Formats: sequence, structure tokens, C-alpha cells
Amino acid sequence: MALAGGPVASLAHRAGIYGLLGVVLVAVLAFVPGFAAATNLSNVVTQSAALGVVAIGQTFVIAAGLIDLSVGQLLGLSVVLTCALGEGRSELLLPVFAAMVAMGGAVGVVHGTLVNRFHIEPLILTFGTLSVLQGLIFAYTDRSVGQAPAELVWLANGRLLGLPVAGAALLAFAALAHLLLRHTRFGLRLLATGNDADSARRAGVDIERVRLLAFVLSGVGATLAGLLIAGRLGTGYPNAGQGFELDAIVAAVLGGTSLSGGRGTIAGTVAAVLLLGVISNVLNLLEVSAFVQTFAKGLIVVAAIVATRTRSGARLTTGAGPAPGTAQGGRR
Amino acid sequence: MSAVAASGRTAAGEVLSRWAILGVLAVLYAIAVVLSDAFLEPVYVGNILRQAAPVGIAAIGTTLVMILGCVDLSIGAIISFSAVLCAVLMAGDAHNSPLAFAATVTAGAAFGAANGLLVVFNRSSSFILTLGTALAIYGLTQIFSGGTARGMVAPDFREFFNHRIGDVLPVLALALLGLAALLEWLLRTTRFGRQIYLIGSNREAARLAGLPVAAVTLACYVISGIFAALGGIAVLARSGVSSTFTGRGFEFDALAAIVLGGTLFSGGRGTVVGTVAGTLVLFIAFNLVNILGFNYNLQLVLKGAIIVLASAAYARLGRDR
Repeated sequence: MALAGGPVASLAHRAGIYGLLGVVLVAVLAFVPGFAAATNLSNVVTQSAALGVVAIGQTFVIAAGLIDLSVGQLLGLSVVLTCALGEGRSELLLPVFAAMVAMGGAVGVVHGTLVNRFHIEPLILTFGTLSVLQGLIFAYTDRSVGQAPAELVWLANGRLLGLPVAGAALLAFAALAHLLLRHTRFGLRLLATGNDADSARRAGVDIERVRLLAFVLSGVGATLAGLLIAGRLGTGYPNAGQGFELDAIVAAVLGGTSLSGGRGTIAGTVAAVLLLGVISNVLNLLEVSAFVQTFAKGLIVVAAIVATRTRSGARLTTGAGPAPGTAQGGRR
Repeated sequence: MSAVAASGRTAAGEVLSRWAILGVLAVLYAIAVVLSDAFLEPVYVGNILRQAAPVGIAAIGTTLVMILGCVDLSIGAIISFSAVLCAVLMAGDAHNSPLAFAATVTAGAAFGAANGLLVVFNRSSSFILTLGTALAIYGLTQIFSGGTARGMVAPDFREFFNHRIGDVLPVLALALLGLAALLEWLLRTTRFGRQIYLIGSNREAARLAGLPVAAVTLACYVISGIFAALGGIAVLARSGVSSTFTGRGFEFDALAAIVLGGTLFSGGRGTVVGTVAGTLVLFIAFNLVNILGFNYNLQLVLKGAIIVLASAAYARLGRDR
């Protein structure tokens, strides 16, 4: 069943997150007063944009068979530095932007090099760098510093023709990421590396380069999301990135990216980010307490994973690696 | 001849990689002694063991799950929940301790069973499932505690666990060592232990060979949950504070300790002794940073650097065959 149903299961699985998002949207549009208001809908998009950018970066690393736990603190560092260095001055926007992209890329290069050279488990490595980055943020400041340039505030909160600018930014970033993952040689090599690194290497893929670039994308995604959060908050809050890493992983996996690598779509990740955004928005509209929200979010994550996974039915593994004899060929 | 030499080298590499953590531990300890005399004092070493007890106790339980080829990210949340539940039930009176312990361990076992059932019957990644249950358990803890510290710890309870046997070894440290010995025994000598390694090496083959894969998986998660609950009680005994976020991040400290200790993410290999050594590496490092007078922020930086360096060193030792 698993063998024959490879492509079908994959389709059902992909429909899983879109189906879920559709059902939830219809339900809340029908039953939750105030959700359908234009301002509320655009709030959902605005609030989801930063997570979307981080989760897209995470999709690349997870699809490559890696993981990046450092993105939350890297985002936080980006928020703090953007505001501290930018000081709200528009003429500094471009230099700060370039510096943040460079910083994200540099962190990615460090991760990739360490994984390639020393074969450190990515989960442990990026947990280590999470701690390093957190220490750096708080060594720099333990309170909010600086001010976000007005352009970033507009990017994060503004409207253009009535539509949220942040949503457009997310859409543009997602479109680029989709092209990169699905329509370039690099994207195919990345999926091949995640699916089976040894085979990919034997087929001539430079898997070390692929892994390095995947980490670079994840790092840049985190620092770019930091620009959005800086714009939203208006100031450099050192704790701004707390928890983003786990939300990003949840979104990528809910969106159909396989934690054992080799499978993932940008559209699925974006749909999952919107689903999480809708749920959190609705819980807020219903004035559910923050504590109950955490509990509900956990249950929803588990339920959603169970709902989308059991339908696919193609996996026999419970751990990180693919079990021998499972539908390797039918993965993509 | 060369084949013999090669296989000899492989066996040596195998032994090296399995016990590399003990080498790392010895080197780190030697560095610590050079940098500070304090590390030569038995009382100080006892202190480190006591500090390491909460994470260590949780980590040795989760080691079983990891050998099985799965992972349990909910232990930090279970530790928090357990600390709050235990403190509330104790209500400042040591006479309530037996009931509080029993209830806390039962709750841990129940959470573990929930994780185990989800993993067994859903067959999707245990990483993401236990991440979800961790969120749910954190939420439950917040709802239960109202978001602040709640409950009261009995002074006698803390005194008992922090009492130094022979003026050196705290009871809490002894608890870690005793529990570790128990699990190592379970892994090495019982049929259940052998089944864990077999399933971890090749789940599908184990299933075809008729091993009770589902039951063993469930049992390992229950053990992981129970040990996380014990870790929660240990935190309470050590710090006396039962806040919602007592255990936050412990799951990653525990994972770091487990992986440093030579357990593979892919399963099939690992020891409880290694995990204890891995935990000690982390805590000697934290103490070293502290004793050298660095502030907390730099501690975070160095903690991360040490995790990265130690796992790099470990991976090197394990791979250079």
C-alpha cells in the first residue's frame, strides 16, 4: 500500500494542510464574530509574516535533512542590532539591511562548516549556537534599545491599497524560495541530499555545499524576519526571538516537510504558518487566556500532525531516519 | 593481514567512540583542576553532582527512548509540571511527601504513556509529536499554577535530599547515581534492555522477528516520563522553587548530555553511564565558567561553545578509525 500509494499518499498529505486550513477558515468565518473583518484578516497576515519568513528558511534546512534551532535567537539579535545600529535613521536602512543579511549568512556558514568538518549532530550544534547567540544578545543589552527606521515600521505594519505590506513581502519571499526549491538545480540537489545523502553524493552532488547553503538560507531568513519584527515592535527588544525556532519547525512539519529530509514545499509551510496565525487570532478574539492558548496550541499541533500524517500512511519510522524497506522511491 | 588490522582498528574505533565521553570528561576535569583548586575538594564535586541531578535523572530516562531511535522533547515540560504539582500537594508539610511523590510520578507516567501511544499509533516523527505534547503540558502547568510559583516545599524534604552522607555526598547526587545504576542494569541484563537495542538498530527487522515493538516503545516513553517527574522532584529539592518554567530548556540540556554520552540519534547505541558522563561534562563546564567569575551572559556563550566543541571532539574521536 505504501509503495503503490507513494505519489497518491504524497498528494493526500499535501492536501492535508490545505484541507485543514480550508476547513478551519470556513469554520471560523462562519462561527467567530469579528474574524471576517478586513482589518482582522489583514492583522492575521501581518502577524504571520515574520514567522513565515523564518519557517521558509527552516523548510530548506529540514528538507536537507538538517535542523536549525538557532533561528529564534538569531532573529532576536537581528532585532536588537537593527534598532541599535539603525537608530531610526532612514539613511542607515540599506547598510543595516546589508549587515543583517551578512550576519545571517555568516551564522549559516559557521553552521554548515561545523557540520561538514566535524560531523556534529545539527540539533546539538544549533542548540549550542542558540545559547551562544542568546548570550551575545544579553551581553550587549538586557533592555530594549534603539529605534526601528520608519521604513521598517511601514514594511511590518503598513498597508498598500488596503493590503498588508508584510503579507506582500512574505509572498515575494515565498515565491523566490519556491522557485529556488522546485525549479533550480540547487533545490533538486537539496531534496536529493535530504532524501539520501550517500546516494546524492555518489550521483555527484556536492552535499557539503548543499548543507552549507541550506544553513545560509535559514540564517538569512531569520535575520530578515528580524527586520520585520523590529518594524513591528519599533524598538530592539532582546527577547523578541524567544520560541520562534519551535514555531518555525512546527510550521514546516505541519506543512508537509519531512523531518527525515527529502520532502517539503514552501506553499505547505506558508499554509501552516497561516493556520497557526488564524488559530492564535481566533483564540485571542474569543478572549481565551494565554495559558489556555498554550495548552490548546499544543493539542492542536498534535491533532494536526495526527490528522495529516495518518492520512499519508506512507511512513513506518518513528525516529529521524527512514526505516529500511519503506517507500524510498515514492517519496517525491 | 590488512583485513585483520582493519577490523582491529574498527573495533578499537568502536570502543573509542563508545567511551570517548569519558576521555572528554577526564580532560575537562583536568583543565578544571588546573584552573581552580576547588575541583579537588570532594564537597565541591559532590555539589556538582547535586546540581547535575535534575537534568541527569531526566536524561538517563530519555536515553532509553533515544536508544530506541525516538526522541522525547516533552521532558522539560514534564519537569515543570512535576515541580509545581509536587509542591502544591506537599503544601509545606513533609508528611505529605509520599502522596506528593506518588501523584507526581503517576502524572509523569501518564504523560509518558500519552507520548508513547501517540508515537506507537501515529508512526510520525516523535520529534514533532513530543514538541506538541510539550506545549500542551506547559499550558496545563500554566493553567494549574496561574502563571506564577505555586505550592510550598517542606523544609524537611529539602533538608533530606540535600543532606550530605559522610559530609560529602548529597542524597540527591546519590539518587542520580542509584537511578543510573538501575537503568544501566535494566539495559544490560534484562530481556527488555536487549529488545530496546534491537528495535533501535532495526525497527522493521525487530518487528518481523516478532519483538513487541509497540509495547517496548510505550514502556520506554513511560520510563522517560517517570524519570522526568523524578527530575522535577529533584529540581524542587535542589532549588525549592516551583515555577511554571522550572524545566524550560532542560530537554535540550538533557539531549546534549545524551548525545555527548555517545547515544546516536538514529538509535541502537548508547549507554546510561555515557549519559551521566555527558551530564557531568556540561555541569563541570557551567561551574568552571562560574568559578572563573564570568557573568551570566558570557556563561551562555561559553555553554554553547562547550556543547559545540565537546560534540565536535566526540564526533572526531568516534569517526577517526
